[in-house]
Amino acid sequence: MRIRKIIQTLKGFSWRQWLVLCAFLFFIGFTGHHAFLFVRDAIYWQYHQDEQIQGWMPVGYVAHSYRVPPHVLYLALGLPHKPPDKRPLSEIAKAQNRSMEEVSAVLQDAIVHARPPYPPPPPPPPDNGGAP
Amino acid sequence: MTDQLFALLSTYGLPVLFVILAISSAGVPFPITLMLIATGSLVAQGEMGLWPVLIVCSAGAITGDQIGYGLGRWGGRKLVHRVTKRFGGADMVKRAEAFTKRRGGLAIFLSRWLVTPLGPWLNLTSGITGYPWPRFLFWDVTGEVLWVVIYVGLGNIFSDRVGALADLLGNLTWVIVGVIAAGILGWKLLQYFRSSGDSSAKTKISADAYSPATEG
Repeated sequence: MRIRKIIQTLKGFSWRQWLVLCAFLFFIGFTGHHAFLFVRDAIYWQYHQDEQIQGWMPVGYVAHSYRVPPHVLYLALGLPHKPPDKRPLSEIAKAQNRSMEEVSAVLQDAIVHARPPYPPPPPPPPDNGGAP
Repeated sequence: MTDQLFALLSTYGLPVLFVILAISSAGVPFPITLMLIATGSLVAQGEMGLWPVLIVCSAGAITGDQIGYGLGRWGGRKLVHRVTKRFGGADMVKRAEAFTKRRGGLAIFLSRWLVTPLGPWLNLTSGITGYPWPRFLFWDVTGEVLWVVIYVGLGNIFSDRVGALADLLGNLTWVIVGVIAAGILGWKLLQYFRSSGDSSAKTKISADAYSPATEG
């Protein structure tokens, strides 16, 4: 009975009312989609301590996020640790003619070797004015 | 684009942050949530000072909002007048103006920090509907300072998980926007259904009044 009433009302809708209905359905879907992403991100947040390495991240941030000494990562990328290179990884990758995946793999490898069970990394090399 | 913006930020620092915030508040879609949270992380790492960041970010966002308001006030208002003169609808504009004057403050305040994607639109519509500028400025400054403090503060606290936090907050903002939009549209639909129910009930009553049973 109720459904028949709703159908009857829908049949009498003007184009403006149909527009409102379509927009309503769109926003229900839109909200559901983002709610799903939000819950997924929240679960990821809970179970993953380490962030995925991305192009916008500077080396210092990666070191901070993965809790490893920054000089280990600078060394792995063949960069002087002083003064700290603040460029995003994508810029560094471009300057070194490497892909972002390659840079990310190099950093991951350095991070793994800077964490237990491996011995702690040696102190940073003496500052030689940025010469290689 | 995110990478380029971070490259600019790493090279030029705070002035770039001011410009990016001003442009994004005026309506250009930049990944500003990520930038603000990342700035909070840079503060936590000791690469930037907290107070300069809070002041520069707030000033940038407020400047962008004023640009949006100005465009609406001096460009949009004239355009609306021309359109209503030609095609009508001046009464609708007047109703919108009255509504904005009554409820605009809260909407401006909330769009600065809670439903940020609506911010640039509200800047324009506030200008178009002639919302008083001193009141606009008051709500704008209050909301933007709150927004900057919240996002930079969160970036500072969760300084090692900037990307994940930005994704989380970005989706949460869109969920809030979606809930508000669906709520308003759902309310409108409910009114349609109720009014159609009332009219069908009235039709039934008038039909009953003229039925042979009542005549007898």
